[in-house]
Amino acid sequence: MSSHSESHYPHDMWVFPDAQSTTQDVANKTASTPKILKLGLVIAGVLAVLGVVGFVLRMATDGFSDYGAWGYYAAIFSYIFIITSSAPLVAVAFRLTKSHWRRPISRISELFALVGVVNVILYIPLIYLLPSINNPNFTPGMHGELQIRKTIWMEVPVGAPHWWDFLGIISLAVLSLVILWVSVVPDLAETRSTTNGWRKKLYTLLAGHWYGTKKQWIHQKISLALLGALYFMMVVFVHFLIVSDFAMSLIPGWKDSILPPLYTVTGFQSALSIILIIAFTMRKWGGYEKYFGTSVFWSASKIQIGLTLLWTYHLFAFFITLWYGRMELEQNILRYLMFESYSWIFWLNVIFIFLIPFWILVWNPVRKTAWGPALAGIFILVGNLLFQIRIFVGAFNAGDIYHLGLFKVPPPVFPDVWDIFMVLGGIGLVAFIYLIGTRILPALSVWEVKEGAMYQKMGTLYRGEYLVLAKPE
Amino acid sequence: MQEGRVLPAEQVNRDLLRSILETPKWFWPVVGILGLIVLIAAILIGYMINRGLGITGLNRPIFWGFFITNFVFWIGISHAGVMLSAILRLAKAEWRRPATRAAEVLTIFSLMTAMIMPIIHTGRPWRILYWAFPYDFARGIWPNVRTPLIWDPSAILTYLTSSTLFVLIALVPDFAVLRDRTTGISHRIYGLLAMGWEGNARQWKLQIIAGVLLSALILPVFVSVHSIVSWDFGMAVAAKSWHSTIFAPYFVVGAVHSGVSAVAFVLILLRWMYGWQDYIRHEHIDGLGRLLVVVATGWFYFFVMEVIFGIYGREADEIAVRSLQFIQEPFQAWTIIFIVTTYFIPVALWLTRRARRNLWIMSLACISVNIGMWLERYLIIVPGLANRTAFTFSWNSYVPSVYEAIIVGATFAFVSMLLLLFSRVFPLIPLYDIKEGDILKNESVKIGRRVVPAVFRED
Amino acid sequence: MAKRPILGLFKDANQAADAGDALKSSGVSDRDIDFLTDAPYPEGAFGEREEKHRLYLFPFIGATLGLSAAILLTSMTQLAYPLVTGGKPILALPAMAVVSYEGTMLGAILFTCLGVIFESRLPKLKSGLYDTRITEGYIGVLASVEDGDLDQTTGILNQAGAVDVKTEG
Repeated sequence: MSSHSESHYPHDMWVFPDAQSTTQDVANKTASTPKILKLGLVIAGVLAVLGVVGFVLRMATDGFSDYGAWGYYAAIFSYIFIITSSAPLVAVAFRLTKSHWRRPISRISELFALVGVVNVILYIPLIYLLPSINNPNFTPGMHGELQIRKTIWMEVPVGAPHWWDFLGIISLAVLSLVILWVSVVPDLAETRSTTNGWRKKLYTLLAGHWYGTKKQWIHQKISLALLGALYFMMVVFVHFLIVSDFAMSLIPGWKDSILPPLYTVTGFQSALSIILIIAFTMRKWGGYEKYFGTSVFWSASKIQIGLTLLWTYHLFAFFITLWYGRMELEQNILRYLMFESYSWIFWLNVIFIFLIPFWILVWNPVRKTAWGPALAGIFILVGNLLFQIRIFVGAFNAGDIYHLGLFKVPPPVFPDVWDIFMVLGGIGLVAFIYLIGTRILPALSVWEVKEGAMYQKMGTLYRGEYLVLAKPE
Repeated sequence: MQEGRVLPAEQVNRDLLRSILETPKWFWPVVGILGLIVLIAAILIGYMINRGLGITGLNRPIFWGFFITNFVFWIGISHAGVMLSAILRLAKAEWRRPATRAAEVLTIFSLMTAMIMPIIHTGRPWRILYWAFPYDFARGIWPNVRTPLIWDPSAILTYLTSSTLFVLIALVPDFAVLRDRTTGISHRIYGLLAMGWEGNARQWKLQIIAGVLLSALILPVFVSVHSIVSWDFGMAVAAKSWHSTIFAPYFVVGAVHSGVSAVAFVLILLRWMYGWQDYIRHEHIDGLGRLLVVVATGWFYFFVMEVIFGIYGREADEIAVRSLQFIQEPFQAWTIIFIVTTYFIPVALWLTRRARRNLWIMSLACISVNIGMWLERYLIIVPGLANRTAFTFSWNSYVPSVYEAIIVGATFAFVSMLLLLFSRVFPLIPLYDIKEGDILKNESVKIGRRVVPAVFRED
Repeated sequence: MAKRPILGLFKDANQAADAGDALKSSGVSDRDIDFLTDAPYPEGAFGEREEKHRLYLFPFIGATLGLSAAILLTSMTQLAYPLVTGGKPILALPAMAVVSYEGTMLGAILFTCLGVIFESRLPKLKSGLYDTRITEGYIGVLASVEDGDLDQTTGILNQAGAVDVKTEG
């Protein structure tokens, strides 16, 4: 056997977990709560409480009449929403493309559906905050003011935007939970007989009907494919609703057709990043190293660098279209969101979402490690938060939203202590719910990993040893 | 994706070099007819240069018509090459193998054809020499880089050069096969082109790395080219419905949509013309069909975004253009045809496996897409210019002349002719790619009673 | 003493790999053994040496040169005849960025292609020992051995199952 084929890639590039022991191993890990996890729960819990404190005090000081004070709340809502709604897409998309490397990370992505429920609750204050589409101060003959501000709902905003957006968020939450349930049922069924206590009751309730018959597997596969395709289209649509209603239409004169795709790309990029960070953590400290080969990170990192470049491309397309014509109202939008009021956030945004991740991921040896994509992911997540702050705080504080356009560049709004509490609290809340979720449901898709183990092995071709990948379809 | 059988190397050589080493009876008559059409168009172009652009239907305010529509269309077709060759190579999709060279070559010829359009559109094409190229001693001034009309040639020439080099590098091993199979002057020419290729491990390793590296480098170029072409319209503030930030990705996805459809159609034609049933199989067309569902849906999303945000601003001029496109004749009929042929008919067909594997249905679907996408570019350009705005002092309408129709039609003949001539001297399916696919096919993985086909993967 | 090339032709890849092993066992260095094929086999399939290359340098060099050339071209030409167009600055960085990006990519791709040819040791002006049957699916095992070892090497190749053994001249 050739020795250089061994040195050609890392020794842990591919892993071949033993199907017999995987179920029990993962069940044991799910049921245990190691010290580091307890510490994480405590920290997340404290942050979540801080968030509630910040929310209550913001409500007490500003109420819901002045939506400008809630810009940072809107930003953190958007941040949580965009990541948690995009996360299941990683499982959905790479299941549709039949990429074997997605198997260990698909449950990590689907578990974000549990946080999706929180999106519904977090959205409720925004229903009261969003100013009406109709200008309450409009009188006929007024100069420079619109009777109906510009929205995607045009002249017929029936129930819009609040209730349609709410319906969208609820639909996403429900759909992602259904996908999670359909995906997790085989794993729960396998452990329902060996577990006890509340887990046994819960698993029997959720997966009592599952016996692993051929028909059930076929139905599960078709369900995941159809639900996944539907979810993909729903996510893109709801992203378009949220960013148009809560950002674009609150800055007068901001007409930007590329903002919804840019928003979706940002979400997908951040979702993949957080999944890779969780996968790295599970591999390094969670005892899951025999399920995560570095091939997972290597393959995902190519998507990650592609999305990073795609994000930059969309941003540049937005910028140059507005920059070129030298129209005053468009130049003011650029000054507001990029070069004057929020310039420092914008440049940090670009550095964190593009420059640093690109220069980490452009090196193939770094992409072949687990830490490389995870490190790039951390910067991407920070950059995304800055992006949300720039867009939503900017939108919520853009002055008179019934104006024809942005005639003056508003000043930036810096966070106060309640804003900081709410931002940290939001992150803590997501982490808390997710960590609890990993104690209830297995964080590894056991049936998918076992299926992958059937289709992959090392094989010998003449004098070399290579991966053999079976392709059943 | 393992429907084919493993063929011996001699048979692969024989089958895939047949178009070069033997001449089918239909070849020269077909090339002759296509050449005649191209010649007629060339004469008409000469006539147009002599008489002026007045013989076309172009007039104030519609200065861009059939030629620019055709320019954007062929730029779009050129995107198939990178999509199939580069992206599928990076994704390690086995089913890309027979499609890559045809797609890359279609890219090169589409780009050449596209470049001809704005050149003849200038009316005095020789002036391009000093408008676009960086020297100042003819006009006393350098080209203005602050315009997308200069970004265009830089992007298109970069893409053309890159694609050509990509094809040439990948052709070297096939030149070696042709060198070994020919005698006389052909042998010497192929020998020169093969540069002494032996097929040792070092050369193959570098070929594989070159394929991946060049794919990764060309991908950003491919995205930038059509984005820059879209900015010919997107940067314009005066033409309503053009000034939209989404134009760049919208045009790129549209290009992929029309390009991949074109390649699928070309593959079906090649399979029929050269008897390549063993190489271009139903599974390849099926794979392309499934890819097209995703691409078409992505395109539709961008189209809807473009329209929604077009009327979002509720500006009177923009609403007028949209009304011209969607409600008023004659554009309304074309708009309906465009949407139906670009999305609804093809995607409805591609959703069923039976239709994807039926070569007639796939051909019709792909032609439908390209009709629709040609119309799409027309419906962006002409209604946008036709709208009567405050500073338009002349309100003519555009009726394409027979000269424009013939020249545009001849571009299809031109590309077809070039493809056929290419197939006469170079293999349109990469021999070593097919042979590599056969080498990597493992005996299979046995799971219970089922034997599942498998491949070796180096990474 | 000068080394002489010897080429063994094999129909079967396993036999070619066996031949390579036998040659190495007989003392031929793996730097003197090459496997000639008509299609890329996975790296290490014949137990051949790992080929080191510096192809990755070329795109970086090309990109740097392309970027520099594009920035110089766009900036110097605009500064040479400074005319304001469309209210944009004379040195319009976004516009320069577009052209510079294309220049960077063109440089990277051009140099990559040059690098591929160079690292493949092409063009090969002097043709080495070769057989046209290699492009018909045969595998060539090309070894460089001392003059006195030619007969022994011929024997090794024949024993491994070579359908033909060729030497220079």
